[in-house]
Amino acid sequence: MLKPKILVVDDDPDLVRALRLRLRANNFEVSTASDGYAAIATAQKERPALIILDLGLPVGDGFVVLERLQSSDTLSGVPVIVLSARDPQSNEERALKAGAAAFFQKPADNDELLNVIRVSLGPGHTQHAPWPS
Amino acid sequence: MMDQQTTQVLLIEDNPGDADLVRLRLVEGKSPANVNCVNRLSDGLASLKVETPSVILLDLNLPDSRGAETFRRVLEHSPNVPVVVLSGQDDEVLAMKAVHQGVQDYLLKSDISSKHLERAIRYAVERQALLRALEISQKQQLEFKNQFLSHVSHELRTPLTCIHQYVTLLLDGLAGPIAPDQSDHLRTVLKSVNQLHAMIRDLLEATRAESGKLRIEPRCLALGDLVRQAVAMLKPTADEKRIGLEIGIDQRLPLVHADPDRVLEVLINLVDNAIKFTPPDGSVIVQASLVDADAGWVYLSVSDTGRGISPEAKALVFDRLYQDADSVDNNRSGLGLGLFICREIVRLHEGRIWVSSEAGQGSTFTFTLPVYSLAKLIAPVITDQGLLRRDFVLVRVELTALTSPPRGNWKEIWQQALETLRRCVYLDKDLVLPPMGTSGAAETFFVVASTDLQHSGVMTARIREQLERMPDLKPKSGLTIMAATVELSPTAADESLEQQVQNVADSVTHMIVSSMERKQSRGRAN
Repeated sequence: MLKPKILVVDDDPDLVRALRLRLRANNFEVSTASDGYAAIATAQKERPALIILDLGLPVGDGFVVLERLQSSDTLSGVPVIVLSARDPQSNEERALKAGAAAFFQKPADNDELLNVIRVSLGPGHTQHAPWPS
Repeated sequence: MMDQQTTQVLLIEDNPGDADLVRLRLVEGKSPANVNCVNRLSDGLASLKVETPSVILLDLNLPDSRGAETFRRVLEHSPNVPVVVLSGQDDEVLAMKAVHQGVQDYLLKSDISSKHLERAIRYAVERQALLRALEISQKQQLEFKNQFLSHVSHELRTPLTCIHQYVTLLLDGLAGPIAPDQSDHLRTVLKSVNQLHAMIRDLLEATRAESGKLRIEPRCLALGDLVRQAVAMLKPTADEKRIGLEIGIDQRLPLVHADPDRVLEVLINLVDNAIKFTPPDGSVIVQASLVDADAGWVYLSVSDTGRGISPEAKALVFDRLYQDADSVDNNRSGLGLGLFICREIVRLHEGRIWVSSEAGQGSTFTFTLPVYSLAKLIAPVITDQGLLRRDFVLVRVELTALTSPPRGNWKEIWQQALETLRRCVYLDKDLVLPPMGTSGAAETFFVVASTDLQHSGVMTARIREQLERMPDLKPKSGLTIMAATVELSPTAADESLEQQVQNVADSVTHMIVSSMERKQSRGRAN
């Protein structure tokens, strides 16, 4: 089966490298961008199945990116998981309203993050179990 | 507006002779003054509402107020306007009291010369301005400090995230195989990373609490789940120190009105502390109970067999930055913010938190949470024209995600589910209770219906049909609906309606609590 591609957008190259390693180990293909402009350009070119997005970014912060993605015909359906050091109390709701599928504060639990990635990618990527009746 | 050179004086003085004297002194002076004279305190306060003078000259014995009461009321009304008392009595005790409360000067009427009065007013205005500037600067500094701490705690997260990522990469073997020894070392690093993470979180929470930005979202809550969750999370830490960790939950425990995340935070903080201060082979017990003399509150307590807390320390442990001297000596981790945060969270719930302890005998931290009054909520739907309806059914609707769902979106989905449920019932005789779930991935709703079990089938079928239509729920969640008759204890003939309602509320609470318990034990069996 084709590996789903995840676009990781973060301006910290060390963190991007670590996330790339972890995501690859979990059978995802990974592309990266380090600013808001590159995020949109890369998303348009590579058509990722999911985007992991930092909020504090140079050249258009995460909220600008979310807005652009939502207003794009081709990209508005791509689930976005926000992964940011910012305070969820003032950013989580705003991000979700702007169209994000989930909000994680850094540092996030790896298993939880991977789980949400799988759920957001929809059926086929989740390990479904029958509901006990 | 008057030009700035003119001093606007509000003179509150009931003796016409004294008033004229003051006026005369001010006219004689070099700088222009505009005097507005009133002879009652109430008139003075009314005038202060309309305009702010440069200074208030205040006689203490007025027709409607006397002595210290007079300046107290003026200062309370206009804390930012300088007040100079003009008194006939040479009373040093009263004068000191006035100055302590914020009066700028206390002059004897018999001593007033033009020059003297003018100077007193000038200095009073100047001192008041300095005081005001100091207050503003203090407020700004507090604001600045809180912003700084909030900024710092976010900045610290970036490098911490990096450390966390690479340590877990190595530990999970994603960068190649590692030897057991190395894995041990890395686990030690990870433990420290987690400690650092907790401290950063506490720093931000304490800052929030201090600036009044800590918020709670109270809901209807069964505490048993939360207590078990907190204990399960800290079991490994307790095991490591060979400390027994036990739970005692009162079977009669009612539902509470509280924020589950915040209560969990308090419990974790208290249990973690208890483990920290208990020597190996000791024990920690978490209890949830009712106190007959204090109906309306649930008591949660965490007791340990540590060395206890001295009477002096008892009063201080909940203060910000309090550190036990021994804990600093023994290099135990923590910022001294945990109990401060606990106190603030409990305070937001309008509960109380305290510690009782005897040196060498361990200590018990107790806090209270308000009972959720089901009786008040269900009274309108289970009574009809002053009489209790006949039959009641409790319907339980359980929605569970099969995998961890995106956190935020579920909240919205549960809200939709709640609205859907409300559309499925008769609003005048059925009641959908607030959601009960304690985690984002699962939610349980209860409906109290005024009907018998046989007829409730129509309602449950409607609920199933409507919920299954919700697009967000269908593919990702499971749905179970159960209904049971509310068994009421036999009532005495002379029971008041209020007692009858309470009887139904008690039975419903009992059913909800035990059904949540069953769900819990089923969850553990899986």
